[in-house]
Amino acid sequence: MLCLRFSKIVLISLLGFFGFVSASSASEVTISHYFSDEFGKENMGKVFSRFEAATGNTMKESPVGHEDFKTDILVRGASDSLPDVFSYWAGARVQFVVDSGDLSPIDDMWARDGLDGIVAKAVADSATLYNGARYLIPMQYHYAGMFYNKKVMADAGITEMPTDWEGFMELCETLKGMGIAPIALGSKFRWPAQFWFDYLILNTAGPEIRAGVMDGSIAYDSDEVMAAVGIWMDMVNNGYFAANSNADTWTDASDKVSNGEAAMTLMGTWITGYWNGNGLTPGEDYDFFPFPTINADAPVSVVGPIDGLVVSANVQNKEGAEAFLSFFVSDVDNQIEWTKAVGAVSANVNVDPSVYNELIQRVISTVDGASNFAFNYDLATPPPVAEVGLSMFQELMESPDDYGAILSRAQDSAQSAFAQ
Amino acid sequence: MVEQVATLPSSREFNPWPVVVFTCLLVLAGLFLAPTIGVILSSIKTTREIAEGGLWNIPTRLFLGNFVEVLANPAVHRYFLNTLLVTLPATAASIALGVLAGYVFAKLPFWGSNLIFLVLISGMFFPPQVILIPLFQFFNSLGLIDTLWPIIFIHTALGIPICTLLMRNFFATVPNSLREAAILEGANEFQVLTRVALPLSLPALAVLATLQFTWIWNDFLWPLIFTQSDEKRTIMVGIVNLKGQYSVAWGVQGALSLVASLPTLIVFLFFQRYFIKGMTMGAVKG
Amino acid sequence: MEKTAWIWRVVFLAAPITVFSILVLWPLFSSFFYSFTNWNGFNPNYRFVGFDNYVKIWTDRLFLNAIINTFVWMVAAILLPTLLGLGFALLIDSNVPGGKVFKSIFYLPICLSAVVVGQIWTWIYQPDWGLLNTLINFFLAEPINYPWLAKPDTSLGSVIIAWSWQQTGLSMVIYLAGLTSISEELLEVCEIEGTSTWQKIRLVLVPLLTPATVVVIALSVINSLKGFDILYIMTGGGPFHSSDTLAMHMYNESFKKYMMGYGSAISVVLFLLALIIIGIYFRELRRLDEIYG
Repeated sequence: MLCLRFSKIVLISLLGFFGFVSASSASEVTISHYFSDEFGKENMGKVFSRFEAATGNTMKESPVGHEDFKTDILVRGASDSLPDVFSYWAGARVQFVVDSGDLSPIDDMWARDGLDGIVAKAVADSATLYNGARYLIPMQYHYAGMFYNKKVMADAGITEMPTDWEGFMELCETLKGMGIAPIALGSKFRWPAQFWFDYLILNTAGPEIRAGVMDGSIAYDSDEVMAAVGIWMDMVNNGYFAANSNADTWTDASDKVSNGEAAMTLMGTWITGYWNGNGLTPGEDYDFFPFPTINADAPVSVVGPIDGLVVSANVQNKEGAEAFLSFFVSDVDNQIEWTKAVGAVSANVNVDPSVYNELIQRVISTVDGASNFAFNYDLATPPPVAEVGLSMFQELMESPDDYGAILSRAQDSAQSAFAQ
Repeated sequence: MVEQVATLPSSREFNPWPVVVFTCLLVLAGLFLAPTIGVILSSIKTTREIAEGGLWNIPTRLFLGNFVEVLANPAVHRYFLNTLLVTLPATAASIALGVLAGYVFAKLPFWGSNLIFLVLISGMFFPPQVILIPLFQFFNSLGLIDTLWPIIFIHTALGIPICTLLMRNFFATVPNSLREAAILEGANEFQVLTRVALPLSLPALAVLATLQFTWIWNDFLWPLIFTQSDEKRTIMVGIVNLKGQYSVAWGVQGALSLVASLPTLIVFLFFQRYFIKGMTMGAVKG
Repeated sequence: MEKTAWIWRVVFLAAPITVFSILVLWPLFSSFFYSFTNWNGFNPNYRFVGFDNYVKIWTDRLFLNAIINTFVWMVAAILLPTLLGLGFALLIDSNVPGGKVFKSIFYLPICLSAVVVGQIWTWIYQPDWGLLNTLINFFLAEPINYPWLAKPDTSLGSVIIAWSWQQTGLSMVIYLAGLTSISEELLEVCEIEGTSTWQKIRLVLVPLLTPATVVVIALSVINSLKGFDILYIMTGGGPFHSSDTLAMHMYNESFKKYMMGYGSAISVVLFLLALIIIGIYFRELRRLDEIYG
């Protein structure tokens, strides 16, 4: 410590020598976010200007790509120099930061601005409450479904999309027989594979067992998980997945579907933002159907992530930060523009579903009709465990026959990660 | 002995070796250039051409739009300026400190100086992530995050080992008698260093300037962590950010990569002659 | 005399040692400190766990995997560029026309950053339209679409080749410098004395190239330990850890699994390994000094 203080003095005098002066403006709200691609950055920029026009605050942004963002936030959290506001994933990731004491609760703002009457109750209950206090506002929510190329399906003579597993297997067999890869999966960056794991466990063993897997009370090599993964691995062995999934990113896989090499992909609603940006028309060029039912007794579940905004514990401009969070979720026009641009759904109850295109309207009714909204795997289980599982998915896609051994190895690693 | 000489090939006879060597080099050069050519090819095609003909086809016409797009982007200018503001002072400072330390280890050794030298050298051998968090905490407590200062300081510190090593080796080849003569004439050590040792060491300085410039220019990790606003980003972080922006525009990505690599190439071509000389005279002699 | 010498030593060493201690040594010691805690990176309330993190290393399957990969990476990433660089240097040194052009071509990749090199080679290894598979399919009746970077058997090797492509130029330049120091006269003397080619290599080339090799290896070791960037960009250690090196493993455990304490323990081990390598390097250096000094 003494050493640190000494070195500080030396450096400060050095800096004084160079005439360096540090200054930061007080009315500014600093924000880090991971909407760093052209599209996300542009739309975030629009949100900022709407907010600045409405309140007179100024926003200072720092966009960082997804993977680098995680490192960046960690390093800054370790040094108590988080930005005033940052985007983060609702669920286990926010829980982790809350438990580390790095976030400010926003209960006062929540009550003052009447967010109870604005944020849909299901979302508010599952995504904003941590250890009994409010910490997050939902920017939007996404839903993962089976997105398909309409023309490919029509060419294969399929007009009715399957709702049960037998029908789904038949569909895959038909497509395969025509020389088209039924399913594209881009697991190069691992996470796209998680939706298969999530839906298969939810639709065979049900939400309670799945929650047990997420919190460590049920093992990865338990019968229930083995059975669910077994179904998945049979599909891989049957050749229903396009080759080289571990070499493709999610956009590669989406391209394979849009250019007709593959028929469908299990992906979040952000794929509509990507495809629309590439000039495809929802409902005409592509469409979606919900993950087919396997066990009719299991309650209907939908899977998806919620991106949120949180306020850091070391916030400099608390008033401005809370004003931004409140504006982001409450301002109806802002919610409509933002969610439409990124291909998501608003959690604000005042947003009329009719503002969305017909496809998103069906997404909303699918989600409303489900009895359970689950966060996808890497947001539902603690980050150290998620690391284990995400690598496991890649290994499963590479060696489907060894899934028993892969799952029990993953259980060993997950157990020690849970113990941490 | 006489027979041996008789069997030596006369220089007028046809010697196949140069042709073989030249062909070998030509093939190898082709292989070595292929990746770079790929980027160049991609940079002179439109996105549509790439989508239709693939990345590796020879385009029918030259398309310079990607370069125009890159060079006209004000963000790219800012990235370049920031990178220069980091690279030039950090290169100069690390070499200056290496010269000072190297001179002591070569010409003024003392009891324990070898140990200090070893500790300094060991700094070259570990991955930077090891010291990332402590350094961030340190510069944060100074209020220097999102400025270029931490990157300059860190690169200066991380450059000290290699600069000290090469300068020590180089100074060791400067004859002691030169130093002693200068001291007898009343020069002090600093004057010996600047007037006798350094003028003899220009090639070593060229080597270090090239290596340090290249490494610092191309660095990704430190600017990524220590800068946050777009106005402070350096070129390599900028490329990755822009990559997100042009996720389908591969031609622009290729042009960006080429433009970003140009300064290091220029520095090498500029220092090349001294570089080889420096390696021959000092460094190589261990 | 001795007193003024001391003043100069202090004056000259003050700045380098101060900067180095603050920005390198002190952070190193603090990671040593964290390796005895269960710090997760976020939470200021960590506790001391003694040697738990070091005990854990012995049972960590991925650590063993990373050690093996690091070894493979170090050996290959040092040998390949060194041998290739030597070969190129010998070819260019034989006074072929266009030697300067060749030299620049082989050096060019050094100027590119890991970000750029990673991008180029990802395009080369792309399974469907990448250059490598396109070339291979030129000779095959049955086209292949092998994903070089996505298969555990080839991911590490593929990155090593990209790395060697980049690093060869540096060792070539250094060897060229070493070769020019071997005078023509020396070789002519050998010629007249009737030395066989093998003897020429053993008695002239090897001893005279040893100093250059010392520098090449030192730079390769330094650079290959830094080889984190290119792995991070091309494979991220994947698929499923098949290309994890120690640096990558440390990064994953610290920054992705949020086990900063354990990650620090891994970096301490990495640091010790580096010290051993430096030790061996300096011992060999001294031995060479005695032989060829």
